Amino acid sequence: MSHEPMHRIIRLKRYEQPPEGYFDDFLREFQNRQRAELLHPSIGELILERFHAILSEIRVPAMAYAGAAAIAVVASVFILRLPTPEQPRAYSASYTQPPVMVPSMQPVSLRVEAPAGDRFDSLFPPSYLLRPRAANHESPLSF
Amino acid sequence: MTPETDNQPNNDMELVARTQGGDPTAFDELVVKYSPRLYGLVYHMTSNHEDTNDLLQDIFSKAYRSIANFRGKSSFYTWMHSISVNMTINFLKKRNRRQHPSLNDPDSRIENDPDFIAATSNGDPTKEVSVHELQKKLNDAMMKLSEDHRMAVTMFDIQGIPHAEIAKILKVSEGTVRSRLFYAHRQLQNSLQEFKRN
Repeated sequence: MSHEPMHRIIRLKRYEQPPEGYFDDFLREFQNRQRAELLHPSIGELILERFHAILSEIRVPAMAYAGAAAIAVVASVFILRLPTPEQPRAYSASYTQPPVMVPSMQPVSLRVEAPAGDRFDSLFPPSYLLRPRAANHESPLSF
Repeated sequence: MTPETDNQPNNDMELVARTQGGDPTAFDELVVKYSPRLYGLVYHMTSNHEDTNDLLQDIFSKAYRSIANFRGKSSFYTWMHSISVNMTINFLKKRNRRQHPSLNDPDSRIENDPDFIAATSNGDPTKEVSVHELQKKLNDAMMKLSEDHRMAVTMFDIQGIPHAEIAKILKVSEGTVRSRLFYAHRQLQNSLQEFKRN
């Protein structure tokens, strides 16, 4: 479907023009407005102007801002990644325990000995026999 | 005024450089050059002469305040049009929907335009439609379009800006421009079909 006919009709709107002399008046109005803005700038413009003036006086090199930002980022990452120290656990004893006394005992050894000739040895678990052995003077509490 | 494409970009850059150098008369020359074209763009979007005047003043004020930052990456023509498009669309979004059109009287030369004669008589010389009737119908049809579609029609059909330039101004692809125009033309055709039948 050709839209050429529609294009021709819409194009007729270009004949709608402002009154004669409008654009001369427009320029004059614009010039008056510019003068008014110069004489009475808005509060926002004043603040912006002061801000730019302060920045220009500081004379901070352009790269300094980038460097400061980079340092801030690195510091933030470092702080966030610091391991949290473990808190010491608080122990509260409900009672005081006397020191453990290890009585002197004759060293013993353990070995498994199945009962002889017992036809039920496969059915019952083996019994453990305690037999005395030669003394060992090593402290029983040494690990 | 017949649509013209900007054929003096070097002159624009010279005027911009002078304005950036502090010469206010240079910007006045840019205002004189661009106000008719930008008036048309804003007017056909708003359909209101008073709103157009106020908005156009704001557009040039903003351009004057921002011209120090204009680096010449695009032409001044594209830059000015981009500002105008953005401010117009922002204005339309804020404006009350119940807006009263304030249309300019069409130039009397329209009555001799072959397209006008073809559109109004429809081959029947006894059936004449007044200029204002056609103007109202065209305006009503345009106002039914979304801002994006109306902008594409205004720039291409009314102002004669090429697709590629419209794409640069609106920062969209050329395909998007063509697609919007296709849709808009179809919508306008439906709106005006009834007018033609009557």
